[in-house]
Amino acid sequence: MPVVKAVSCPVCGSLCDDIELTIENGEVVKVKNGCAMCEAKFLSHRSEHRIRKPLIRKDGEFVETTLEEAIRRTAEILAEANYPVLYGWSNTSCEAISVGIELAEEVGGVIDNTAVVCHGPSLLSVQDMGIPSCTLGQIRHRADLIIYWGCDPWSAHPRHIERYTAFAEGRFEKSAWRGYMAKIRSLIGLKKIRSAAKRLVLKEPSEIEARLKPTFVPSIAREGRKLIVVDVRRTKTAEMADFFIQVEPGKDYELLQALRALVRDQELEVDHVAGVPVEYLEEVVDAMVSCDFGALFFGLGLTMGGAKLRNIDAALSLIRDLNMRTKFVIMPMRGHFNVTGANMVFTWQTGYPYAVDFSLGYPRYNPGETSVVDVLLRGESDAALVVASDPVSSFPRKAAEHLARNPLIYVGPHMDVTAQVADVVIPSAFVGIEAPGTAYRMDHVPIPLKKVVDPPEGVLPDEEILRRILSEVRKIKREKTKAEAA
Amino acid sequence: MIVNLYPLKEFKLPVIAECINPEVFKGKSIEEIGRLEVWEGNKQRRLNELFKLEAEEAESSPEAPVITIHGDVSRVRRIGAGMKNGEIVVKGDAGMHLGEEMRDGKITVYGNVLGWAGSMMRGGTIEVHGNAGDYLGAPYRGSTEGMKGGKIIVHGNVGREAGAHMKKGIIKIYGCAGQFVGFRMKGGTIYVQKDCEARVGACMVDGTIIVGGCVESVLPSFTIEGLRKRVKIEEGEVVEAPFYLFTGDLTENGRGRLFVAKGPNPHLSHYEKFL
Ligand code: SF4
Repeated sequence: MPVVKAVSCPVCGSLCDDIELTIENGEVVKVKNGCAMCEAKFLSHRSEHRIRKPLIRKDGEFVETTLEEAIRRTAEILAEANYPVLYGWSNTSCEAISVGIELAEEVGGVIDNTAVVCHGPSLLSVQDMGIPSCTLGQIRHRADLIIYWGCDPWSAHPRHIERYTAFAEGRFEKSAWRGYMAKIRSLIGLKKIRSAAKRLVLKEPSEIEARLKPTFVPSIAREGRKLIVVDVRRTKTAEMADFFIQVEPGKDYELLQALRALVRDQELEVDHVAGVPVEYLEEVVDAMVSCDFGALFFGLGLTMGGAKLRNIDAALSLIRDLNMRTKFVIMPMRGHFNVTGANMVFTWQTGYPYAVDFSLGYPRYNPGETSVVDVLLRGESDAALVVASDPVSSFPRKAAEHLARNPLIYVGPHMDVTAQVADVVIPSAFVGIEAPGTAYRMDHVPIPLKKVVDPPEGVLPDEEILRRILSEVRKIKREKTKAEAA
Repeated sequence: MIVNLYPLKEFKLPVIAECINPEVFKGKSIEEIGRLEVWEGNKQRRLNELFKLEAEEAESSPEAPVITIHGDVSRVRRIGAGMKNGEIVVKGDAGMHLGEEMRDGKITVYGNVLGWAGSMMRGGTIEVHGNAGDYLGAPYRGSTEGMKGGKIIVHGNVGREAGAHMKKGIIKIYGCAGQFVGFRMKGGTIYVQKDCEARVGACMVDGTIIVGGCVESVLPSFTIEGLRKRVKIEEGEVVEAPFYLFTGDLTENGRGRLFVAKGPNPHLSHYEKFL
């Protein structure tokens, strides 16, 4: 059985590129090195939810059609529209995104990627403040303090900790895995002793409690990599942390500003910030300023909670302040495998990372005004093209309803909710499994995606489908100009 | 001259009409005005395809024309952008970027306005009798050049980040305000008569914010300075009530002044031990 090595995993923004796949009869049968999410994607690419034929809605029912007919209908809808939106792009290759932007310009539409519902606010703040960052490789080898803020990599980016941060065996920094295992073992031991003691000596449980309490050795004082987690609840990642700050929901901004003041040696006139005692924060700040190379990763808990984009503004300012005293970098934990690539390609071609409006013939950018969710909430668009995304199930209800009310075209591999309410459905190949391409890892490193098996018969990659739609739109426009001239 | 505009239909698509500006209308006949270009979605149209236009001669003819819009123009953006004189009256709701970068003149709206009203304004007056959206007087994305002069009066509530990056001028809000009032402001005055969501004056460097109602919280990076018996908002407008005075934002080495009324904010009384 052929084994393909060094395959990149097209699931999350970590883009692990050490996956080994075993192929049998044109299907992936075994996945090595990947996490559960990776395995699920590679093994289920031929599931029954797969769309195999283009569909067009006629009298409310889907009917199978030819690819040419589906593309012609798509081009007609887009060419006639007065304010179409083109959305998705984070689960496809950079090559396809590039064609998508050309198409948006041609039809005078609003093009947006999934950053609008995840790290859009981060991008806005980065534009305001700048971002001191680096590659994940640097962090793996050098960082001795890792902070995860508002994210739970253990469940959303399962191999992130093991490959790039606390549990990675770096060249200059050792893995904290052994320390963590020892901690778990001692906790289990402690639990056992406690229950045995309870059964044997029922009289003075409080005294036993006091004896069992571990003498407090601040874990920050010990050698090796350290892990700090800030979140609203005790996640799996928080369990592993040396320091866990449980912040009151929606109060991250206050906490960040307090940390900034402490880093700048300023006194606070309050005892608690965001539900955390200031003394504890002082300890954490000590750990931050005394590290040699710190890295802060933040997730949607920070970008979408309370102060939204201004949380990131404050986090970037905190890193700026920390860099006066030591070395610190910051990085958003990007979700979809190529959302970073979408932002990159958008920026190359239009100057802006997301929410670009071509209706006046040139790119305009003002999230809040030109972002797809807001356009849909105000009910302004009159047609939509969705590529490799499922906005109907993830957008606010009002926005999803407006999307479904107008002509909707879906290009993607799965029969998901958006596909079910669409008017034209064009099946496409899985990028990274059935089609090659390029994707950007969360640290802006481009990683090639491999084609390991053939797509189902007649199914094309997104890039090719979009190219055909684009040339059809151009043809319709030419015909129209000719007709008008005549 | 007074020019009356009546929308011919309920707009569904965004309309961009920066030509609705006394400066542009000046010296033009009603036919010429009707031929001015506007955008509806991705199509270019003439003003008279979207509005019915009527001109009437005023008894006392002011220098620049007065434009009156009768009806809902909440989808129409950039009305009065960059205007230098004259007057616009909107009898209905107005869209985004109303009076963006305006230098002089007056805009009155007898309805609500959407985001970025008075964005990057330099002079003149905007008066809104309804509510205003987010980013009142704030610059557009990525810019740090806020309001540099002029006056905005809102009789209703406003959204988030009113007066962000403001340098000069005054904003008076007689309703409630969303979070981040006066974010990163460098000068000028903002008055909020009623309640204010959290993070007032975050990262402010200079300027004055006065809150007459309840504030959710004061940022930990502000320090209490004292108690004041009254606060002056502008010439001829003074609020007679005890106010806490905070300065900040410390994290930006700021010396902005934040006045918060004592009465409606008993949860801030713990600051009094520092006085
Ligand atoms: S961590 Fe992400 S990229 Fe890596 S194997 Fe798991 S899903 Fe794939």
